[in-house]
This record gives sequence, structure tokens and C-alpha cells, in this order.
Amino acid sequence: MSVGVSLLKKTTIEAETFVQRLDGRVKFLYFLWATIIVYIFFDPLLNLIFLAVTMALAVYAKCWKPIALTILIIVVPWILFAVPILALPLGFPWNKTIIGYINILGKDYPVYLEGLGWGVTWPLRIAVAISTALLFFLTTNQAKLVATMFKMKFPFKLIYMVIATFQFIPLLASEANTIMQAQIARGLRTDVGFVQKIKNYLAVVIPLTLSALNKVQIRAIALESRGFSAPVKKTLLYEASFTKLDYAFLMTMLLVTVFLAWVYVYIGFSPLAHLPWIWSG
Amino acid sequence: MDMVWVKNMEPIIKVENLTYAYPTSKDFVLKNISFTVNKGEVLAVIGPNGAGKSTLLKALNGLVPHFYGGKYGGRVVVSGFEVLNTPISKMSTKVGFVFQDPEDQISGLALTVWEEVAFGLMMLGYPREEIDKRVREAIDYVGLTGLEKRSPFELSGGQMQRLAIATVLALRPEVIVMDEPTAQLDPLGKYEVLSVIEKLAESGSTIVLAEHEIEEVVYFADKMLLLDKGEAVAYGDTRKVVTMVEELKRRGVDPPSVTELTSLLKEKTGVDVALPVTLEEAVKIYSELLR
Amino acid sequence: MSQEIREVSPTGKAIIAVVLIPTIAALNYVGGVIVEALKAPIWGDTWATILGTFIGGFWVGAAGGFLYNIIMALTVWGLPSWVWGFANVAIAAIAWFMMKMGWTDLKKPMTWIMMIVLYGLVYPAFTTAISIGIFGGGPLWKPLAAAVYTATLSSTGNFFLANYVQNAFTEIIDKPISFIISVIIAQRIPKRFVLAK
Repeated sequence: MSVGVSLLKKTTIEAETFVQRLDGRVKFLYFLWATIIVYIFFDPLLNLIFLAVTMALAVYAKCWKPIALTILIIVVPWILFAVPILALPLGFPWNKTIIGYINILGKDYPVYLEGLGWGVTWPLRIAVAISTALLFFLTTNQAKLVATMFKMKFPFKLIYMVIATFQFIPLLASEANTIMQAQIARGLRTDVGFVQKIKNYLAVVIPLTLSALNKVQIRAIALESRGFSAPVKKTLLYEASFTKLDYAFLMTMLLVTVFLAWVYVYIGFSPLAHLPWIWSG
Repeated sequence: MDMVWVKNMEPIIKVENLTYAYPTSKDFVLKNISFTVNKGEVLAVIGPNGAGKSTLLKALNGLVPHFYGGKYGGRVVVSGFEVLNTPISKMSTKVGFVFQDPEDQISGLALTVWEEVAFGLMMLGYPREEIDKRVREAIDYVGLTGLEKRSPFELSGGQMQRLAIATVLALRPEVIVMDEPTAQLDPLGKYEVLSVIEKLAESGSTIVLAEHEIEEVVYFADKMLLLDKGEAVAYGDTRKVVTMVEELKRRGVDPPSVTELTSLLKEKTGVDVALPVTLEEAVKIYSELLR
Repeated sequence: MSQEIREVSPTGKAIIAVVLIPTIAALNYVGGVIVEALKAPIWGDTWATILGTFIGGFWVGAAGGFLYNIIMALTVWGLPSWVWGFANVAIAAIAWFMMKMGWTDLKKPMTWIMMIVLYGLVYPAFTTAISIGIFGGGPLWKPLAAAVYTATLSSTGNFFLANYVQNAFTEIIDKPISFIISVIIAQRIPKRFVLAK
């Protein structure tokens, strides 16, 4: 989870590339579009292509490191676990096609296509989703994020809640840190047994919660005192509008969609890897 | 000249027999409180902890009773609006409230100092040009020029509190209410904020503040209200209230050191001398005496 | 002097909810960070959902939990994981149900039984549906859980069962502990902070 906290600290990578200049809605659509496509197709090679394109954009936008890190932490171990467990004869019910044999400790074991395909394709689908989502997030600064939500007609209170969460997390995290340091100074140790670890957790979380709830009270009356509930249309200081760049990007996505639709109809749902059909492939 | 006189004597705040209990409190927290504040006056509310100072202040902008609910009696009229019949969002255009905790009153929506100062104006739907103008004025007034693009949470305590004041000033309220604004600040922060408050007082703003730093407040408070256990124990000119040394001490409030010192010396030596309320006055009085 | 005292109904609850929900989401997030720092063997990132339900009712807990998942989806896990937001809603629903039925007293054995049944057996069925439908239903990338998955898969050949048992194994410890933690915290909270009935 500390990957998460550090990611939050580095939320936006400010650079002057076209990726940053793309409207937030376009980047969000890119994420949705890419994810849906890789879910419609069942093809690990197609997934890799999408992943490569996204990473290329990320490298150009100078935000590839957090994305690569996340993929390394989540997707790679996943594949490493999934492939052996599913491709070897360990019970994956749809294993039929043997594509080879692997020698483990002197005995030959069959490797099945179905399990292998499953073990590789699903994590890669997630990798595409993660990379496109992070690309959106890392290249859209928070002001643009708010503008995006506003243009998408999100209700104001919802916009508040999303932005506020981002602002509260570092505040609460630093308070949690203070409390932890204080408890350590009072003798809290982490090399202890299960029950004590839970007690340690409580020793930090209880004061943190009480403090957080107190803040809620104060913040709520402060908001009210500054007109939060006024039944008028709020003026938000952020603007979002499409440029030629956005239209070009959207057009590209549209063309690719048409092409892929043709591929799906005439070649099939697994055009490059030719994986066989499994009930929910 | 007559017009000026009339304007100054208009009570902009009228509190009549205010009585209030929170939904969860057994007793009444405010009992039969009455006072007025004229335009351009500064009223300091003093009293021990739990006396009801915060509650009284919140009754001026509608948080009491609307936000909390509860039992409410009496009348509070601010800028012509009766608080009981006016929603908080409307009161917020007339009364600006600065809270004690510098960080907790920051909205959470604004990403920069500029946006935070604009917060109230955004909530009330002001047009963009008006917002730009007022935010600029407010930021410069409190001395935060140059910090516009910072995150509001990166400021020091004194800066954050000045930010809160700026947020309130941008709305151009007729009354500014402050609930112990320097209580959670370090000495530098206290100094920064008190300077802004003094500046506001000198330029004719109407201010009601609850403050523990009595020594500082006497410099610019016109009137004082001493509260204890929800009742108004003393009310009147600052000098009159702050020199009631016995009464203050009995209620758990420390008078200014020079006032207390002089009062004790008076008792001990029997010398008849006026009680000073500020350091400067004390120096004057004592240099006369010691001649 | 007699005077008319009126009863005024409060308007503050809606605003408190608006501030409470992001706080719940943030607490869930920070809970996960604390777990890592203290090396506690639980996920620890849904306890605030349960607590939020105790304080503010089902909608507050569910919204806070869901918002947490959206933020995590945006920052760490990738956006498809927003669907776990529904799992958080289920957590809130179970917490609300247990609150209504009075099963929050840790001295009552019924509390412990229902806690394990609802969070350890019923809830994993929910997460299994999500695992399989959205994520393919393969083994998790944690060694112990993956071992359980493998064992079930090879002994029964049932794909769905393997997923369910893996999930139940993971949740049966984490969720009840989160529940207990939230109950303990809720007991320490002054009454005036509680919105739910």
C-alpha cells in the first residue's frame, strides 16, 4: 500500500507533451475503450499490443515509471502464479489441448493451452486497464480532473467528495504517522504476535478515528458558514474544452474500433493467439 | 455630520433574551442573553471554558439553531435578518465566521490558496470577474500575496488562519465573527493574525470575537461581554468590564497583568489610582506615581 | 420572564454526511497504510466502511467504501477494480444488518457466529462472482491463498469452488477482524458524533 501513498504524492507528472494536453474526458474514454476491447477479445497478444501502445504514450508523457512499477507488482506475480497452476494438470477443468511437456524433478508433465491462455490473458487484460487508467490519472492534473467531472455533469457534492478524499488522505496519513511515532516512543513494537499486532493497530487507529471525526464536525460547520448549501449554481473555476488534438485522438480510436470490429467478425475473438473458446473467454 | 452620527449608532446586531439548548445537552447552554453591537464596533466575548462563548458566536450566523437543531428562545437580528427565520447560506453573506482550528476549517475542495479564498464566492455563485477582483483584494489585505498557487494545507498556522480571514473577507460580510482565532497558533502566528484583526478594527469593521488573549484584545475592543455558565455576567465598555478584577478572577478569567497588579497594589497600599488596562497606560500611571 | 421556546430541527446531517463520506474513504486508505507499517496480517482497508455504517447508516458506509475503491482504482489498482466498490457496499450492508439485529455486542456469542457466517461465508460468495466475472477467477498473487486455490482445484476440479474457497480463506480472517475493530472504535466514540439510529 505504500506504493499507493507514494503514487498519491506524485499524482500528476507535469510535462508539456500532447498527452497532458488531451482533455480528461478523452483520456478517460481511452481507458474505457481499451478495457472494453480487451475484454471482448480473448487474446493475450492483442492485450500486449494495447499495453505497448499505452506504455509508449506513457514514456512520451514521462510517466511510465509508476505504471511500470504497478504492473510489476500486481500483474507479473499474478501471471507467475496463474500460469503454472492453471496450465499444469492441477485441475483446471477446461484443459484439453496439450502443447508441450515440461520436466519437473525428473517427471514429464503436460502443459495445456487452455490453462496457459487463461493464465496469461486475464492478468494482461488487467494490465491494460491499469496502464490506461494510470495514464489518465497521472497526466491529468487535479484542476483538469475537476473540470472533467464538472463537464460530465457530476453533481457538485460528488465532485466535492472525490476531491476531498484526495486532500484528506495525505492529512490523515501524516497524522497516523505522528500517532505511530508517539506509540513507538511509548514502547510499541512490530515484532510481536498476532493478537498484539491487532492491539497495535487499534492503538493507532482509535485516536486517528476520533481525531478524524472531530475534523468532520468542524469542517462541516465551516462549509455551511461559507455558503456550501446555498441553492444556487456554483461557480467552479475550471474549464474544459476540446481542441483539434482531442478530435484527432478520438478519430483514431474510432478508426481502430471499426478495424477491430471487422477483425472480430471475420477472424474471430482470438485473432493473434488463436486461443480456443472457454465458456467465458 | 448628523448622518455619520446616525450611522454609527445603528445596532447591526441585536440579541434579545437569547436562550438555547443543544439537542444532546440537558441544561440550557445560553440563558437569557441580551446585548447589541453597533456598526464599526468590536465586541470581545470573554469567559471560562464551557461558558458558552462558541455557542453564542454560532448563534450570530445561524449555525445555532439551524445546523444543530435544539431548543431556541429569544431573538437574534443581524443586519436586518432574524437568524431564526434565515437559512445559514443567506446569513453567510452577512456574517463571516472564522473558526479556531486553522486547518480543519479549510474547505477541502480548493487546490490552491487562491481557490480557497474564492471558495465562499464559488459556493454562492458569483460571476468569474467579480471573484477574481475580490480574491485579489482579500489576499493582499491579509498579507498572503505571493502564496496564491500553494496548497492551502502547506501553509503555517498563522498563514492558514489569515487564509480563513481572507476567505471570509472576500464575501464582504457586514459582521465578522471569530471564535478564538489565535488559540491554536504559535507566537508568530498569533502576532500575524492579531495584526490583521487590528487592521480590520481600525478600518471600521464590525467584529465579534471570543478570545483568551485579553491583553491583546483590550487594544481594539470597544465593548466586552463576560459570559459564565451561559449567562451574561457583565457587559459594557471594555474598560469597565476589564477592570472588574474580582469578578473576572471569580469567573476564571485572567485580567491583564497590569490591571491585576495595580488592583492588588491598590488593596495593599490604599493608594487611589485609576486601573490601567494596557502596558502603555500602566507605564504612564506609574511614572506619575513614582515621581 | 417566561418566553417561548421553540424546537428547531437540525439541517446539519446532510453536510456532515458529505464530509464524513470522503473521511471514511480516506480512513480506509490510511488503514491499509498502517497495516503495512505495523506488519499486521490483515488487509485492514475496509474497516472504515463498517465504522461508517455504524456512525452514519448504510448509505454513508456504502458511499465511503465505494468512494475508497474508486480512489484506489484511480491510483493503484487500475480502474476495473472499481467493481470492488460493490463488494464494499456488501460489507456495509452486512454491517448495517448486524447493527439492526443487535449483533454488535462482542460478549454475545451470536455476534461472533453471524460475523463469521456473514463475512466469512456469505460475503466471499459475492466476491467470487466478481473475481470470476471480471478478473478471470484465477489464483491470487499471494502465496498462501494461491496454495489454497491450487489444492481445491486439484482435488475437486471445480473452478468455481476453488475460487470460493480461496476467497473465503482470505476473508474469513480479515473481515471479522475489521468488524471487531470497528465495533471497538464505535464504542469509544462520543454520542454526538453518531448520525445513525
